[in-house]
Amino acid sequence: MSDLLGNLALGFGVVFQFIYWNLNIFGTTVSIPVPINLVFCLIGALVGTLVGVLPGIGTVATIAMLLPITFGLPPVGALIMLAGIYYGAQYGGSTTSVLVNIPGEATSVVTCLDGHQMAKQGRAGAALSIAAIGSFFAGCVSTVLVAALGAPLTSLALLFGPAEYFSLMVLGLIFAVVLAKGSVLKAIAMILTGLLLSMVGSDLETGAGRMTFDLPELADGIGFANIALGVFGFAEIVRNLELPEGSRDILRAKVSGLMPTRQDLIDSSGAVARGTLIGSIIGILPGAGAVIASFAAYTVEKRVAKDPSRFGRGAIEGVAAPESANNAAAQTAFIPLLTLGIPPNAVMALMVGAMTIHGIVPGPQVMTKQPELFWGMISSMWIGNLMLVVINLPLVGVWVSLLRVPYRLLFPSIVVFCCIGIYSINNSPSDVLIAALFGVIGYWLTKHDFEPAPMLLGFVLGPLMEENLRRAMLIARGDATVFMTRPISATLLAVAAILLILSALPQIRKSREILVE
Amino acid sequence: MSEGVKSSPGTGPGVSTEEPHNLRGGIAVAVIALLFLWSTFYISSPAVPRTLSILLIAVGIATAAGLVPVRAPQDYYGGLVLIMLALLALVASAELPGQRGFAFGPGTAPRLFSGLLAFIGAAVTLVGVVFEGPLIEKYKLRGPALVILSIILFAAMIRPFGLIISTYLAFMVSILGSREMRWVESLAGAGVMTAFCWGLFVWLLNLPFQLWPQSNAHEILIQQFSDIFRLMLTPFLKFLGVM
Repeated sequence: MSDLLGNLALGFGVVFQFIYWNLNIFGTTVSIPVPINLVFCLIGALVGTLVGVLPGIGTVATIAMLLPITFGLPPVGALIMLAGIYYGAQYGGSTTSVLVNIPGEATSVVTCLDGHQMAKQGRAGAALSIAAIGSFFAGCVSTVLVAALGAPLTSLALLFGPAEYFSLMVLGLIFAVVLAKGSVLKAIAMILTGLLLSMVGSDLETGAGRMTFDLPELADGIGFANIALGVFGFAEIVRNLELPEGSRDILRAKVSGLMPTRQDLIDSSGAVARGTLIGSIIGILPGAGAVIASFAAYTVEKRVAKDPSRFGRGAIEGVAAPESANNAAAQTAFIPLLTLGIPPNAVMALMVGAMTIHGIVPGPQVMTKQPELFWGMISSMWIGNLMLVVINLPLVGVWVSLLRVPYRLLFPSIVVFCCIGIYSINNSPSDVLIAALFGVIGYWLTKHDFEPAPMLLGFVLGPLMEENLRRAMLIARGDATVFMTRPISATLLAVAAILLILSALPQIRKSREILVE
Repeated sequence: MSEGVKSSPGTGPGVSTEEPHNLRGGIAVAVIALLFLWSTFYISSPAVPRTLSILLIAVGIATAAGLVPVRAPQDYYGGLVLIMLALLALVASAELPGQRGFAFGPGTAPRLFSGLLAFIGAAVTLVGVVFEGPLIEKYKLRGPALVILSIILFAAMIRPFGLIISTYLAFMVSILGSREMRWVESLAGAGVMTAFCWGLFVWLLNLPFQLWPQSNAHEILIQQFSDIFRLMLTPFLKFLGVM
């Protein structure tokens, strides 16, 4: 326990670190002390909220867009900012759900049901504040959970050899596939595609160019940012252009009375606690954690309620539970990433990309070798959640007015922003072209109902998986049964196989579809 | 790798799936598979990719002839493209040394995973034959083409013409992709966005960008375009053994 407190103290020390920023304003150099990580946290939270508010730009696309910008930043600051975008988006998504009945993010779809009803009854303020308070509570609990589970899981992971690690990654990928939406078969195909894409470029051990067609542009492999921006940025834009621009019926009514009443708080306290619990558990599992968590929390609330008919007509529990759950899940999703180095979803895959670019290999070593990064990030989550409560509620009006920016102006801005971002990484026009190619591929994928997220996961995990596979085979003297004979590895693979079989059973498949729909 | 299926758009729900789409789709599959077959004559261990491409040609012809009951075109053609992707990876990694003793060579893992991908692709294709499923949504041309064009333009122009002009132009070209485009608003918006990008990337982040056109802009532009063509054509020519 004292260890935990000491570590958290270290983390907060990192978050409140001051550095002197030499700003060159038209020739004169001014040194300003800046709490640099706090600033990054704030920027991340604000940008995340903005993205959460705007429908049509997803969290994954934004993090991918901002990835190039973070390359010049110190690693801790960069990761703090990226994390801020992620949970900020969970907050922002709920704002539009309540006020305009448009979920800004997939995670706040259920919030629409009761949140917008509350707004219609003139209780928008109460709905927004309970969403924020619930999220904050969930954020606090899950931050502690991440901190508490970090150490034991890490020490477990350190016992793993290459065979176990490979099996663990297989299990992680299977989990992600089974819990995500869409066909399991197609998702596995996407993972394999991602794995193959990750093998383009020089071989790690021999240096031989693999599948490069002798193009010097591909000698270093395909840039992670190019794929992410192409598939999630460009392809999403192209996709959105096809949809008719829906009339955005903005609620003109003023949001008054931000504070929930005493009764509201009493009513929703149980829902917040249950939502947090459900979210924390589901978040740790790979897959579309935060989305499923919000649905599951809503369903549970409806079950435990004395009068389920109130749901859908403005029940405050129907806002409190899913909002707490999605925030909790968004945070606990960091646990597999930070301890085992396995990204459970596309956003975490982007975090892996960001870490790798900064020269950090995600995995159990992060905690021992870079404690200030690990604990700094965890503490920043708590601070970030606090910031979001403080900045979000007063700024609701600003966020809603942003909804009036038409998509026809938004999408070209995103296109040029992405272009400049990609170009700035290596000053290489061919990177921009590769991203454009992946934009086309991503467009094709959506037409054939393939999910791009597993591809990104496969791409990120590819080098690690191959390395561990090769090492395990070498140690076992070419004996492939090593994955079955080592107990931990065998267990992990067995669980993966059971999961796959379960997902194929008709009954499970049905309920999985209902859950995901 | 996805051109073949592009030419087989579904016409929306309610239309039965046999007829011209499968004719075109099947021919496209067969033609692409024929190219794959060609490429296998330039690699040293062609057995597996050659068998696969001959199988694909057969499947393509059967589809075009209407012998395959395609119930879910999305899955069916999606799966076929996955097999082609696996084939491409097999051909591209054919020259890499494989397992030596106990150690994996650089080519082992790519071949292993391409084999798996081909297998899963076949399963997806089968699903498309066995189960009813949605048609392929129609492809739009205007939006995607203009957005992609603007990105290519940006890539070609950023070096010779600098950040300001390329950003402004890329914005204007991509905004043409929307049917609700309004001129005045767009011209102003492009200006604001260009200024914003300058402020963020150049002023705040201090990234080294060429801002304005270089004196020999046209030469560099030609160079950039030839680079683009090289990047696009080389893999194709290599693949067909021409280079």
